[in-house]
Amino acid sequence: MAAAVAPPVNPTEHNLDRCGTEEESRGAEAEEERNPQQTGPAAAAGTHSRLSKLPLTRIKALMKTDPDVSLASQESVFIIAKATELFVEMIAKDALVYTQQGKRKTLQRKDLDNAIEAIDEFAFLEGTLD
Amino acid sequence: MAERPEDLNLPNAVIGRIIKEALPDGVNVSKEARRAISQAASVFVLYATSCANNFAMKAKRKTLNAGDVLAAMEEMEFERFLEPLREALEVYKKGQKGKKVSEQRRKDKEQKTDSENDKSREDEEEEEEHMEEEEPEAENEAEEEEN
Repeated sequence: MAAAVAPPVNPTEHNLDRCGTEEESRGAEAEEERNPQQTGPAAAAGTHSRLSKLPLTRIKALMKTDPDVSLASQESVFIIAKATELFVEMIAKDALVYTQQGKRKTLQRKDLDNAIEAIDEFAFLEGTLD
Repeated sequence: MAERPEDLNLPNAVIGRIIKEALPDGVNVSKEARRAISQAASVFVLYATSCANNFAMKAKRKTLNAGDVLAAMEEMEFERFLEPLREALEVYKKGQKGKKVSEQRRKDKEQKTDSENDKSREDEEEEEEHMEEEEPEAENEAEEEEN
């Protein structure tokens, strides 16, 4: 791969909260704009928005931080969002194996670290998490 | 407003929900583990984007498309994602088509004059996510559809 992966994200609780509210208020505004004007697309949007749990605007903003990326189709943003969802499911399940090995009921950070070390597909994560 | 990777995180609540739904009942997740998974997800987005962009550049295209992302998944050894992603893409495309038809009808009603120019321009905006800052209208359009 020619392009280097961007430096690891370092979230703080404060930032997370801020991002969360920001996203919610934007979503609320969009809904208000849409409803009075049309009912058809709103229904379609309802089913359509179920497809991706992760907000496409946030995904797109993340993609934008890569200086080599100029344009991305809406479909590509959606596919990356969906793939990220699958990735989260996968890593949670793989980490759970270690939780169960330790006879615990709570998935902990160390279970995640073990999964990253053990599984080839997660090699790209090594050294990137706090 | 330039966003740095460090400022952008995926919503904690959504990540938490995805994790909960993936795991059996009765299993809890520590705050640290959830935070780390959220971080990992952001890294995944960046890595997948970079990889997909390589395919686009190889094909001498400036616009990243869905095919590039699928190719990236294979490259990253996430072949297991390909089938569900393709299915989701089909449903997504159908949803988009339905919206475009309704959008078209609405615009035809509202605008009798200059409809040709507006239609073609807005079709393009719906197809591509423009990365430049100078198109706030396109971003608003995109946000309406995304929500």
